[in-house]
Order: sequence, then structure tokens, then C-alpha cells
Amino acid sequence: MKPIEDLTFPEDLLYAQDHEWIRMENGSAVIGISDYAQDQLGDIVYVELPSVGQTFAKGEAFGTVESVKAVSELYMPIGGEVSAVNESLGDSPEKVNQDPYQDGWMIQITPQDPSEKDALMAKDAYLEMLKGLS
Amino acid sequence: MSTLVSALPRRPSWTVLELPRVAYPEALALQHRLLARRLEGTLSDDALVILEHFPVFTLGRRGGSEHLKVSQEFLEAHGIAVIPAERGGNITYHGPGQLILYPLVDLQRHRLAVTDYVARLEEVMIRLAARWGVHAERRPENRGVWVGVKKLGSVGIAVRKHIAFHGLAFNAAVDLTPFSWIDPCGLSGVQMTSLSRETGKPVSMARIRADAKQCIETVFGVALNAGNPDAFLEPKPHASSNPYPKASLDPDPASARA
Repeated sequence: MKPIEDLTFPEDLLYAQDHEWIRMENGSAVIGISDYAQDQLGDIVYVELPSVGQTFAKGEAFGTVESVKAVSELYMPIGGEVSAVNESLGDSPEKVNQDPYQDGWMIQITPQDPSEKDALMAKDAYLEMLKGLS
Repeated sequence: MSTLVSALPRRPSWTVLELPRVAYPEALALQHRLLARRLEGTLSDDALVILEHFPVFTLGRRGGSEHLKVSQEFLEAHGIAVIPAERGGNITYHGPGQLILYPLVDLQRHRLAVTDYVARLEEVMIRLAARWGVHAERRPENRGVWVGVKKLGSVGIAVRKHIAFHGLAFNAAVDLTPFSWIDPCGLSGVQMTSLSRETGKPVSMARIRADAKQCIETVFGVALNAGNPDAFLEPKPHASSNPYPKASLDPDPASARA
């Protein structure tokens, strides 16, 4: 595990308590897991994602990642309908470890209630939370 | 006074729920019940479920039935079911004489990354084997613990809202034959071994359980307190009766609950 200082947290994202991030793009939201989360999980060997058209509420599990014989659930930072999934993770789940904020994105959603994002954390608040955990 | 107390942190306590031999679905329901209580906040302590299973094959979250090398009819003739589970890893076998530990542990509370937690479960098995004079170790290419190239113990966990469940399976005195009916963990050519095979001596499950509890306390830095599993089991008349009466893979029939 890396020290928090060695992990990357882009400024333009919002972070959830369960370590997912979202990036707002023209009314839709792209979702993935943070550098901290991928580091805690270890080498990811499988990513299980939902289908386009499925709807999940904020906090609901939308998929799982499997690493080191461990299956961990993924949670919606805000609610919405899935509009795209990163199919390339099927063959290359390691992208989540290598590039969690770009190539390792997981799903794109149309938010049900965009104001739900107001409860998420900006980089500084998320970093504060992580320091409390380590 | 309060300063003194906070200067001497108490070891966290885990509630041990110890059961004899339990059918897999029943143990799974027990774990789900404990997990639900944790998530709704009506159970605050971490728990450790200790048991053995009646013969069963279980699949990981991603399946693994393609690694079963015998037919459904063959399994039915032996009275062994194949049951999907949400844990990591692939197909495996559980049966009498295999020690099962299912810790339901808040990883965040213990400041444990998933990688660290899995390594600690392996450490428990390495220390447990060492108590019996067997040198087990990790192998870089696969998780679990190994004696040379033979697998002695397996790990498979799931994590929900930073609570880990499922756990480890340690081949103490288990009949290894059913492992030859699968490619264990989805790896072809993997040989399994057991503590009784490695030591060439019978292994007492009572002693294995006691040893395992001590290893857990050391490796996780916790104190174990006995809890009452009946409080979490579904109230039914024959809760632990064997649903697979044809199963005969029992190295130690005397230790099954009558």
C-alpha cells in the first residue's frame, strides 16, 4: 500500500465515502474508483458492471471488482440510469489499477437528481477523510 | 484516569460463533444474517464463525462450474451439491476435516486494506501449520498457502460496505479425493494436501480449532470472546442435520453433531 501522498486525486472530480469518484460532463456523470481504492484492493482481475439502461439509487451496489480472491462491491455516488459502461475492462481489468481516472472509468450515468452530488466531497475533503482512515 | 485508559488501548474483541458441522447454505445464511445486523447497526462487534462443512462444491462470484470434471449424476450419487457463492476465487471443495473460518470484520475499523487482510488470513494458516511442524508458505503466482507446490489452504472473501465476509478453508484432516473431481480454484494440475497427509498423523479437529483461535488472536491483535451461535441461526428443528445423507467422506464421524 502506498502512502496517501503518493496517490493521485484530480481536482475536477467529486469523491464519495465509499471511494468512488464522479466527473460531471454535460449533464451526465462518469463514475470510477479512486486511486486509494484501487491501491487498497490490489491487482484487479475482474470487473462486473451493469447493463446500459439499468437504474440505481445513490448508495446502491452497481457492480463488483475482484482482486486477490476478494470480491468487493461498488456503490453509486449519486443515483441515475446507466448510459454507457467501459466494456474494455472485460479484457483489461488492470486498467482500473493503472489509470483509475481515465482508461479505468467504469460507468456513465444520467443522474436522477443532480443535486445529490452536493453531498459528495471535493479533493481536499476526501483527502481529510482518508487521513482519518490511515 | 481517563488518560491512563486511553494510553492503554484495549485489544479489539471478536465474538466467536463456533459450530460443529454445518450445511453450506445454512452457514451462508448465518453470514448474511450477521452482515445484515452489522449494516443496519444492531451488531457492533466483529465476529468469527468457526465450523466444518458437510461435503459441498462451491463456486466463486465468477462461477467455475466449467472446472468440474465429473457429471451431475456422479455428484448426485455421492450426495454432493454445487452451490454458487459471492466470494472471490473459483470452484473449491469443502468437507468434514477442513477447518473453515469466516471472520465478519470491519476492514476500515482495523485499518486493513483488502490486500493486507487476505495476507493476514494466509498468515493465520501459515502459523497454524507451523504449530504442527509443517512449513507452509505463500506463492507469488497464487494466493492461499502451500506446502511446496501443494495447496494446504485457500482464501476467498467478499466485501460489502467495508465489512469482509467468507474467509478461509484449511485442509486439516479432510479427505482430498473430491478435489480430484475439479480443477481447484480453476487452476489445472494443482495438487491439494492436508495437514494429516503432511504430518502422516491423525489430526484432532478440536486441537486445530483451539490452535486456529490462538493464531487469529496473534495475527489480528484481537481478543476472542465466545458468543452464542444459536442467536443467529434460523430456528428450525434440525438446524445442523446433514442434507446430503449419502455423503460418506467423513474422516472422523464421531465429531459430527448427532
